[in-house]
Amino acid sequence: MEHRSLIITVVCAILAVLLQAILAPFMVIGPAVPNFILAFVIANAVARPTGGIVAPFVLGLLYDLMGNGPLGAMALVCVVFSFACSRLLMMLNNDTLFIPIVLIVAGTFLGDAVYGILMIACGMDVGALEALVGRALPCGLYDTVLALIMFPLLARLGAMGSAPLRIR
Amino acid sequence: MGLNFQEGRPIGLTRALLVAALAASVVLMTLYSNEGEQGPLHAVQSGAHAVLAPLGVAGSSAGALAEDAGAAAADSAASEETLTALRERNAELTQLLTQSEEYRLEAERLQGLLGLKETYQIDGVSGRVIGRSTDAWNQTVTIDVGSADGVESGLTVVGPSGVVGQVISVQPGSATVRLLSDPQSGAAAIIQSSRAEGIVRGSLSGQLTLQNLEANAEAKVGDVVLTSGLGGSYVKGLLIGTIVRIEGSAGDGSRTIYVSPNESTGALEEVMVVFDATGADVTPRQSGSSSSAASSARSSADALSDDDAGQDDAGDEG
Repeated sequence: MEHRSLIITVVCAILAVLLQAILAPFMVIGPAVPNFILAFVIANAVARPTGGIVAPFVLGLLYDLMGNGPLGAMALVCVVFSFACSRLLMMLNNDTLFIPIVLIVAGTFLGDAVYGILMIACGMDVGALEALVGRALPCGLYDTVLALIMFPLLARLGAMGSAPLRIR
Repeated sequence: MGLNFQEGRPIGLTRALLVAALAASVVLMTLYSNEGEQGPLHAVQSGAHAVLAPLGVAGSSAGALAEDAGAAAADSAASEETLTALRERNAELTQLLTQSEEYRLEAERLQGLLGLKETYQIDGVSGRVIGRSTDAWNQTVTIDVGSADGVESGLTVVGPSGVVGQVISVQPGSATVRLLSDPQSGAAAIIQSSRAEGIVRGSLSGQLTLQNLEANAEAKVGDVVLTSGLGGSYVKGLLIGTIVRIEGSAGDGSRTIYVSPNESTGALEEVMVVFDATGADVTPRQSGSSSSAASSARSSADALSDDDAGQDDAGDEG
């Protein structure tokens, strides 16, 4: 079952990378560009909390390689927020749908905001307010929608793997 | 039963992996930020762009395929009786018309590029846009000409009606261009009428602003802004755009001048990488009060040039 779970994660991760590389530039809405990778990482962390942090790190690094931002920034965001979301979910141990949704919303919004802060810290010459309100907020909204779409699919796929999230 | 978790690996290993991943991320970010455009991590990123360039083409094709699929779905929904020979013929003609309209628009754009090439006597190579930025924080495009065609990092890129941006990384068959509207872009510029010099910078919202202008330099709405060539980052004398809005007045240090780019980057499809532009010589006049502004802009332009090691290649062209 563990092997099967790994395969599911790898296949979904490859799909997220392909969507980011091929479709994301054509799915721009205003200032928001979808981040399939962050959405997948957060949704996967909530749907299958024992998934580990290797996949988020690798996916984040691939995102950094695809774009023109600093290498390691999205990797850091993905690792921190996937770990935080999965551990919070386990700590709260709540069997309602409310907690996973709250974690997904918070994870994606904060993930985009922290990425923006990292971009500024690495030398991007923009104001913090402009970055957070003008870019991180709309991107966070877009990614939240994507993650909320991915979450039930991943939870269902997770039920075939080793570490399912069961919600009554 | 509520949530059911199975801890698959020892806690110690998870912690070690977490610390290693965090450390690796921070080290990578630090190294990336401190190395120049020609550094090894930038080279790795550039290599990744080369690998992903074909996916960008696939993305463009996917967009066209989606349109075709939509049309096919609409056709399949029609009843059998209505699909007469006449309608088929009509569909063929519509397709031909669409195709010829596409060719006409492409010819228009290429004509614009050709016109610009003749006007400025540009020596360069033209290419198609095959990819766009995959993230929200950078405004870049990938073009289908690269080092094999003579493209180098730092060269100026123009569209059919003005400056588009600058090459920031090259691969054998493709190159990445940072658009002028990117917040990390900066082009030494000159107002054509008053010869006041400054720096045109992009922003997250895509707006261009003219900065580093002397406080009492003359600028008014409608003035044309050109590249000045200072700092060697952009070929001089190429059209950037026109001033559309000025907040504040002359003498006001916080005056903000907005420039509307002549080239719309949203629908950009064909561009030209400029090796040299002998007809674009607009040597700035420097006299009286404008000299200190020129000096200020020049030092800013030099700083820009220093910041971006990739721009050195274009240094001879200014």
